[in-house]
Amino acid sequence: MTTTYTYLVYLAISVALTIWVARTLHKNGRVFLVDVFHGNDALADSVNHLLVVGFYLINFGYVSMALKLGYLVNNTQEGIEALSVKVGMVLIVLGGMHFFNLFIFSRMRRRKSHQDNRPPIRPDTFTAVKQEA
Amino acid sequence: MLSLTVLYDPDCGLCRRAHEWLAEQPKLIDLVFVPCASEEARMKFPMLNHDLTKEDLTVVRYDGAVYFGPKAWLMVLWSLARYREWSYRLSSPELLPTTKKVVSAISQNRYQISRVIGS
Repeated sequence: MTTTYTYLVYLAISVALTIWVARTLHKNGRVFLVDVFHGNDALADSVNHLLVVGFYLINFGYVSMALKLGYLVNNTQEGIEALSVKVGMVLIVLGGMHFFNLFIFSRMRRRKSHQDNRPPIRPDTFTAVKQEA
Repeated sequence: MLSLTVLYDPDCGLCRRAHEWLAEQPKLIDLVFVPCASEEARMKFPMLNHDLTKEDLTVVRYDGAVYFGPKAWLMVLWSLARYREWSYRLSSPELLPTTKKVVSAISQNRYQISRVIGS
């Protein structure tokens, strides 16, 4: 019975954490995306939503696959120990996903900033150019 | 037409190899190759010091801006779709001194390098 409770608590904590991180990303990533897409709000919202969907899928997929303990929990102490390992793993995966998302955002921003036609350096001098007739 | 004119050394094998490679790269700005100190180069840029262009790679932008040596290499990188990012990276204040050293070393020894790679 205790094993089942451990599973239920694990699911509750993991799902709550995933939803919290996804919402944070959704709320704060929007500003980045609006900037990347030159103020195109509709496109930014769409991409933001798609990113969050992917985030949910990967995280819930991981949470679901990592559910099984492989041994029976006999008392509360063992339950808490099992939970700490499982929830810890979920946190690390969430953290990894979070940084991966940030990486994507910053890459998108950088790509945008390189689309201007600014040369990388100043010229040494200027010379007259004879225009071809 | 927005383009960069690259005044290269036609007697150097390494430069010819580089030229072949550049010809195949997707570009954001057209590159026009003209042998340095040639009739064509003198016609096109009557005021330029053509003896200097024999010493190191020179790039002239469509509006007459002249880039010499390592700066010319950075401008060539900048013209390539795949390497524009690298031109900014290599010209950042942290990396520019190293870029200049490495590019100058390659340029100064281009005939020896050409002999080693056998072209």
